[in-house]
Amino acid sequence: MVMADQTLDCKGLSCPMPILKLAKTMKQFEKGKILELLATDPGSKADVPAWCDRTGNELVETGEESGVYKYYIKCNK
Amino acid sequence: MSSEEKKGEKGVFRELYETFFSHSWQMWLGSILLAVMSIFLFLIASPWGSSGGIVNWGQNLYHNLGLSLENSAPNGVALITEYRYAMLSITVIIGALVSALMGKEFAIRVAPAGELFKGLIGGLMMGAGCILAMGCTVGNFFSGLAALSAGAIIFGIGLFIGVFLSVKYLLWEMDKHPKMSSGKSASILQAKSKGLSLQPLAGLIIFIIGLVIVFTVSDIIILSFALIGLFIGILLQRSRWCVVRALREPFMTGDSEPAVGIIAGIIIGLLGFSIIKFFGIGSETAMVVENFWMPSIIGGIIFGFGMTIAGGCTIGSSWRAGEGHVKLWLALLGIIIAGPLTAEYIKPAFMNMLPGWMKQSIFLPDYFTYIGGVIIMILLLLMWYIFVKWNERTGKFTAL
Repeated sequence: MVMADQTLDCKGLSCPMPILKLAKTMKQFEKGKILELLATDPGSKADVPAWCDRTGNELVETGEESGVYKYYIKCNK
Repeated sequence: MSSEEKKGEKGVFRELYETFFSHSWQMWLGSILLAVMSIFLFLIASPWGSSGGIVNWGQNLYHNLGLSLENSAPNGVALITEYRYAMLSITVIIGALVSALMGKEFAIRVAPAGELFKGLIGGLMMGAGCILAMGCTVGNFFSGLAALSAGAIIFGIGLFIGVFLSVKYLLWEMDKHPKMSSGKSASILQAKSKGLSLQPLAGLIIFIIGLVIVFTVSDIIILSFALIGLFIGILLQRSRWCVVRALREPFMTGDSEPAVGIIAGIIIGLLGFSIIKFFGIGSETAMVVENFWMPSIIGGIIFGFGMTIAGGCTIGSSWRAGEGHVKLWLALLGIIIAGPLTAEYIKPAFMNMLPGWMKQSIFLPDYFTYIGGVIIMILLLLMWYIFVKWNERTGKFTAL
């Protein structure tokens, strides 16, 4: 289980809002810290890993609980 | 039969189910299959379109409320059950619902109030834009480009401008008014993550009910459209097919995959439609309307802006509505409200105002022959492809 330094709640939001919020939050994040992103949009299952890949941030762990998708992203910038 | 053989059989069905529903498909795959569906529809009657059906629901609503629609429907409003695109637009949503349930991705997702508001406003803009441009991202873009319509090219340029401005707005909103997209949200009826979920069973039952209802339609063309609509809905939800993403991502994340997916579909449609038109199997004027160039550019900008704040075009809103996003329900409502009113009160004056050279119906083969028209279209798509790939590498236009 990964411990997150901060949680970003994007529940209820649909594309593109979770990615916009994730990008904005990550800009002000410290290198090495871990962000927990919560989303309910199934689109996030492909979009979040793709965004991490492109921006060089590390997707440490993913999970799902009762329709809420969880992403743990380590800031590498 | 031994128990091991039984187990093996179950494995086959499980494998089949997982092939289709355990993860999303690549967008290019969905896109090519959707182009094939559009070719089927054209062989039956006319190519795939989306906004016409939804606007027809709205016209029926206004008609039942007693509003006169003498400018936009002088011969009366076609009943939903008697208009093939209206039926197609319904079964697309049912197909998407079935697909979301089968993939255990359905839930009624209520976004924060500011988001719901943006869904409605985006829908109103799409309703106005698709009427002025005489088609939406499906009929006037995905099908329109494939149909060799010059108006579709201009509509595409309008969409690009609208999307560009709308992304600027979203970034500004995120910076200055973060409350718009935060606040109370809810998620209802989602699938259980552990144990057996009832969603796939519910999906199967709704699919069978949908099929039974479709086969009660007496008109064979409307029946075929409704039936193909069910499969279009499934393809859309599985591949998360989205014209907004294709046009938006270059300005946001730089991801080129959605654009490449849409381009792949348009090329297949282009080849199929050109054969159908050239050999006289279907009408040469299908999806070619008097929207070159002013109606297309104005309608395209309004539509492009609206679909980006809504987070889905007419068809993207339809399948996401089936998946349970309340924001996109409101986007559909916006189209239903604004489409018929724009057609009745704004479009006649708008068209009267324009001189003839601004509202032409231009079919490329009339000027460049079929080969020339197809080459022009492929060159334009190639330019689009090069732009998104170059931009993905350099990040020149990318905001995030």
